[in-house]
Amino acid sequence: MTGPAHTVQFCALVSLLFISRCYGLFSGDGYRRNVSMELNPGLNGSVAPPPGVGLIHVRAVGSGDTLHVLLSNLGAPALLLAHTNSSSSSLRVDWPAFLSGQASGSVKVEPEGSVQFSGAAVFTRLWEYDDANDTADPEHQPASSFFPPYELQNFSWEDLNKSVNVAEHTATLCGADRSDTFTNGSFCLAFAAFESEGRGQAWPKLLHSANSSQIQMWLEGVTPRSNHSRFALELQAVSSGELRQKVDVIKSIDDEYTPSIFKLSQWASSPTNTSSRVLGYTQWKPVAYLKANPVTEDSTPCRNSEPTPQGQLPPSGLVKAFFTEEYKASGLNMSFGISGNPFYGTSEYLSWTVLLGVGSPPLESFSPLVIAIMAVGLGTPLVLILFGGIYICIRKATHQPDGYRPIN
Amino acid sequence: MTARGSASDSGAGSRSRMADWGEGENLLNEDPHFPSPTGASGGKMWAICDPTRLPHRIIVLFFMCFLGFGSYFCYDNPAALQTQVIQDMKLSTAWFMELYAWYSWPNVVLCFVGGFLLDRVFGIRWGTVIFSLFVLLGQIIFACGALFNYFWLMAVGRFVFGIGGESLAVAQNTYAVNWFKGKELNLVFGLQLSMARLGSTANMNIMGSIYDKIEIARNSTGPVTLGIVLMIAATTCLLSLICALVLGCLDRRAEKILNKAEGKTGEVIKLKDVKNFPLELWLIFIICVGYYVAIFPFIGLGQVFFIEKFDFSPTEARLINSIVYIISAPASPVLGFLVDKTGKHVLWVMCAVVLTLTAHIMLAFTFWNPWIAMSVLGVSYSLLACALWPMVAFVVPEYQLGTAYGFMQSIQNLGLALISMAAGSILDSRGYLFLEVFFCACICIALIGVVLLYFVDNLKGGDLNLSASGWTRRLKSSSPQSE
Repeated sequence: MTGPAHTVQFCALVSLLFISRCYGLFSGDGYRRNVSMELNPGLNGSVAPPPGVGLIHVRAVGSGDTLHVLLSNLGAPALLLAHTNSSSSSLRVDWPAFLSGQASGSVKVEPEGSVQFSGAAVFTRLWEYDDANDTADPEHQPASSFFPPYELQNFSWEDLNKSVNVAEHTATLCGADRSDTFTNGSFCLAFAAFESEGRGQAWPKLLHSANSSQIQMWLEGVTPRSNHSRFALELQAVSSGELRQKVDVIKSIDDEYTPSIFKLSQWASSPTNTSSRVLGYTQWKPVAYLKANPVTEDSTPCRNSEPTPQGQLPPSGLVKAFFTEEYKASGLNMSFGISGNPFYGTSEYLSWTVLLGVGSPPLESFSPLVIAIMAVGLGTPLVLILFGGIYICIRKATHQPDGYRPIN
Repeated sequence: MTARGSASDSGAGSRSRMADWGEGENLLNEDPHFPSPTGASGGKMWAICDPTRLPHRIIVLFFMCFLGFGSYFCYDNPAALQTQVIQDMKLSTAWFMELYAWYSWPNVVLCFVGGFLLDRVFGIRWGTVIFSLFVLLGQIIFACGALFNYFWLMAVGRFVFGIGGESLAVAQNTYAVNWFKGKELNLVFGLQLSMARLGSTANMNIMGSIYDKIEIARNSTGPVTLGIVLMIAATTCLLSLICALVLGCLDRRAEKILNKAEGKTGEVIKLKDVKNFPLELWLIFIICVGYYVAIFPFIGLGQVFFIEKFDFSPTEARLINSIVYIISAPASPVLGFLVDKTGKHVLWVMCAVVLTLTAHIMLAFTFWNPWIAMSVLGVSYSLLACALWPMVAFVVPEYQLGTAYGFMQSIQNLGLALISMAAGSILDSRGYLFLEVFFCACICIALIGVVLLYFVDNLKGGDLNLSASGWTRRLKSSSPQSE
C-alpha cells in the first residue's frame, strides 16, 4: 500500500509546487515602494492650524517614480494622490496661505512638470433621511424626508497627533458635528498607505497595491433624528484627467475575501482623448457593515447615484490649494442599506471602505488555497487513472490469459 | 433511511434488498387454494373493499404515497425559507445549517435500530403511527421554537423530526413490499419516489409565498410570522399521520380477512459483520458520503446563493433550487431502466460523479446561466442514485445486506451532519466561491473512490462493471457448475 500512497503524495506535492510557481508568475505586480509618512510637513511655529486639523503627507518612492498621498481635514476631509515620474519629487506647502483657506497653489508637488496624474476624493456631506416606507432609496425620497445634512467641513476633529502611526503609515481622523446628535457619536476615517500589494485585515478586505491608499469610513453612536433613519454619504472626486460619467460595476466570481459580494464598483479617470486607459480610480465593494466586528449577516448593500459633474471644487482646503487649473470635479451619493434591512438606529454603526489608486487597478486572483484544493482534487483522480491504467496494462501483458480453461 | 432526497434513493437499495429476499410469508396470496376472502355478511365484497383486488390496492397506494409527503415537505422548510429564518431568528449561516445537522444526528444511530424497532418492538402499523407522530411533533416543536423565538427549541424540533422522518421512509417501503410484492412493486416504488420529489418541490416553491401572505396579514415579519408559517407546514405532517392511521386500519383489516402476517422490514443488522466488509464496500461508502454531502447541504444553502451571485429573484431562486428534485422525478425511472439494461454500474457512477463535479465547477467559477449547471446536477444526481445503491448488493452476501445498507446510511448521515455545520461556517467566513470549492473537493474524494473502485474491481475480476449481457453469461456459466 505504501507505493501508491507515496505516489499520491508526491503528485500532490508536485502539482502544488507547480501551481504556486504559476501563481507567483501571474498574481500581483509585486511592485514595492519606500513609504515615509509625515504630519504637517514644513510647518514651523509661525502659524498654527485649527485644533485637530492637519495635513498628512505620505511619500511613496518607487523605481523612477513617486506617489504623493495627502490627507487633510482642513475643510471637508480629502484624500489626494499625485503621481510623478521622478523619484526625487517633493511636496511644498505654503502654510500661511494654505491655512487661510483661500490661496490656490499653496500646496504643490515639485517639480510641477513631473506630475503625471493627480486625483482626490472628498467626503463632503452626510445625509440623513426618514425612510418611513422602508425603500432605502434616497434618490426617490420626497425632499421633506431629508433632515438638514451634516456638513463635514464644519466638523470639529480630535487631535491628529495621537492617531498618526508613522511606522505603519496609518492615521485615523475622527470628528463630530457640533449638534446634540453627535454627543456620543463620531464620524471617522481610517487611512492607510501601502508599501506593496496586499489586503486589508477586516472585511471587505479590498485588494490594494503600492499604488493605492485606503480609507475606511465609519459612523458610530450618532443619535438618529427619526426612528427610520438611514444615512447616505456625499462623495466628490476631483481629477486631472477625465472622470467617467458612470461607475463601472465589475462582476467577480471570487467572493472569498468579501463573503457573498460578487461585485466591485470602480469609478475611473482616463486621459481626455482615450477612455480605455485608466489614470486613477476609486474602488469599493458595494457593501457596508453594521457592526464594528461584523459577521456575514451584519453586511448591508450600498448603492451609488450616477456621478454628476460639479462646477466648482468641493469645500476642502487641500483640494482648493492643490488644484489650480485643468481639473474635473464630479460628485455622487453613496446610500447604505436596502429595503428590509435594519435602520441606522438598530446598531448605531455603519462602516464602508474605499480605495484610491493611480494607474491600472490591481487584478484579483484566486487565493493559493483555492488553487491548491482544485489542483489536488482534480489532479489526484487523473494521476490515479494514469498509473492505474498503466499498471493494469502491464499486468494484462505479463499475465497471459489462460487460453484453455479446463472443461467442467 | 437516509436524509430526505436519498431516502428514496436507497429505496432503490431497499428494493433490491426486499424484493430479492423472498420473505417467508406470501403476503397477498392469490393462490387458488387460499380461502376466498369474505365479508362479515359472508357475501362477495366490493372490489374497492377487497384487499386482493386492484381497486382496493390503489386506495392503499394513495395513503401510502401521502404517508411520506409531510416529512418530505417539511424536511427542506429551512432551505425554502432560508432568508426569512436567518433574518427572523437573527442567525448566522452556520447556526442555520445546524438545523440540518440536527436532523441528521439521530439517524446516525436510527439507521441501525429503525428496522429492529419496526420488526420487533412496535410492529409495522404502530411503528408507522409512532414515527408519523414524531414527525408531526418535531415539526410542531420546530414551529414553536420560531413562534417563541428560541433557536434551541427549533433545533430540538428538527432532532425529533429527524427521529421520525427517516424511519418513516423505511416503514413506507415495508408497507409497499407487503402490499405490492410480486405485483406492481417497482411501479409503486417509482410512484412513492415521485411523491417524495413532489413534496420537496412543493415545499420549495410554496413556502415563500405562504410566508409573504402571512407577512401581509400580520403586517410584520419576525419570529411569530415564521412560527405561523411553519405551523401551517405542520398540517402536511398531520395529513401523513392520518394516512398512517388509515393504513394501519386497512392493513389490520387485510390481515384479518386474509389471515396474513404483519409486514417486516426484514432488516437484520449485525455490527460484527462490519469487519468483514470488502474493500469495494468501503469505497462505495466513500463515494456515497463524498457525493451526498456536496448535494444536500448545497441545496440547503442554495436559495441565497442564486440570489446573491446570479441576481435571481427569491421566487426564481426557490424554483431553480428545487430543479434537482423536479428533474429527478421523471429521470429516475428512465435512468434506472437504462442502468438495469446496460449494467456497468461503476462507469455510470463515474459518469454521474464527473457530471456533478462539472456542474459544481460551473457554479463556482462561471457566471453562466445556473439553470444549465443545476439541470446537469439534477440528471447526474438521479443517475447516481440508480447506479450506486444497487451496487451494494453485488459486493456483499445477501445476509449482510441489511447491515451494509444500515452502515452506509449511518455514515452518510454522519457526513451530512458534519458537513452541514462545516458548510455554514465556511460560507460565513470565506464566502460562496470557497464553499463551492469545498463541495468540489468532496466530489473529488467521491471521484477518487470511484476510480479506485474501478481498478480494485478490475483486478479482482469483480462483477461491478459487467454489462447486463455479461451478467447473463456469468449466471449461465455458473449454473451448470452448481448443478
